[in-house]
Amino acid sequence: MPLANPEPVPEPAPRPEPGPSPVSAGGQVAPGRPAESTAGGTAGAGAQPPQDGPSGWTGAEAPSEPPEPSGRQRLRAGLWPPRITRAQLIVAVLLFGLGLGLAIQVRSTSDNSALRGARQEDLVRILDELDDRTQRLEEEKTRLGAQRAELENSSDQAEEARKQTQEKERQLGILAGTVAAQGPGITVTVTDSAGAVEPDMLLDAIQELRAAGAEAIQVNGVRVVAGTYFSGEAGAIEVDGRKIGAPYRFTVIGRPQDLEPALNIPGGVVQTLEKEQATVTVDRSEKIVVDALRPAERPDYARSSSQ
Amino acid sequence: MIAVLGLVVGVVAGLLVRPEVPAVVEPYLPIAVVAALDAVFGGLRAMLDGIFVDKVFVVSFLSNVVVAALIVFLGDKLGVGAQLSTGVVVVLGIRIFSNAAAIRRHVFRA
Repeated sequence: MPLANPEPVPEPAPRPEPGPSPVSAGGQVAPGRPAESTAGGTAGAGAQPPQDGPSGWTGAEAPSEPPEPSGRQRLRAGLWPPRITRAQLIVAVLLFGLGLGLAIQVRSTSDNSALRGARQEDLVRILDELDDRTQRLEEEKTRLGAQRAELENSSDQAEEARKQTQEKERQLGILAGTVAAQGPGITVTVTDSAGAVEPDMLLDAIQELRAAGAEAIQVNGVRVVAGTYFSGEAGAIEVDGRKIGAPYRFTVIGRPQDLEPALNIPGGVVQTLEKEQATVTVDRSEKIVVDALRPAERPDYARSSSQ
Repeated sequence: MIAVLGLVVGVVAGLLVRPEVPAVVEPYLPIAVVAALDAVFGGLRAMLDGIFVDKVFVVSFLSNVVVAALIVFLGDKLGVGAQLSTGVVVVLGIRIFSNAAAIRRHVFRA
């Protein structure tokens, strides 16, 4: 206990010390906080003594500690032995609010892109830009839609034209003998036992058939077209330069009711041929196939005058 | 220690609970947070200087927040909100840096 007596004497000594030092420190802190320096002097002194005060012999260390309680020591003292003081609690509450705000802000900025934290005028600008963009895109969509309709239309037209062209090509091909044809018609068989049938008689038969509306004719495997000619002599007839022999077989597509009478008219083809001891048989059929073909030849000089 | 715990609990609560901030307060929250950070750094420095007073801390904390929000509000009304809030952030940032320098001098003695 004798030690207790000298202690009170050195103890008051450190107290005044924090007093003046904050004043000088307060000068540096911030010009905006002059009150803190004066208040801090009393608070800093008030916060520490409760620790040292109650315990009797801890005062023995007091002479060594108080002289320079450095910032680091103060920090450590404030951190480690967790004391529940009024200051700590108040600061804790405020820091809780700070942490809450910080977390909310961080969350909201990372959450919903940049729009959430954007200012009003920025939002208005963004909205305007979006409106413009929407309008532009809408216009582009309309334009592209019109273009698409146009293209579809024209492709439809092109398709139609192509179909028509194909159809026409087929029709012309039948006339030119470049494609096979089938349909109702007749088959005329001329057996020439005497070998007296002349080429011009066959030509007459062809002319007669054409006059009666024959659309496709072939003779013994030779397609008869506009430029077909008969040559040679009886027994050695040539069609377009190809020799054909009896019996002569005409395969004709046309209306059978027209074709047959055309051959049988008095003084007509059949009678003329029968006069030469040839026999002529005419068979009607609902399905005649004319499949002898000619190569498509490009005329050397004649050109289409239409486009 | 309790104070640090309070900060940690606040962050965790903000992340977990995900409270809805009213739209009126929302634009001022970031500035308020920065202002509060400035107050906290000032308080930490005062503590290291041994001149910490809880009352001063509370007042400076709240007034920082309120004034910062007020400035932003005023700026929004005047049509210079963006520039003004940038200015506030710059000023607060400078103060935070100077306080941090003082704290560093205390803690690391450098």
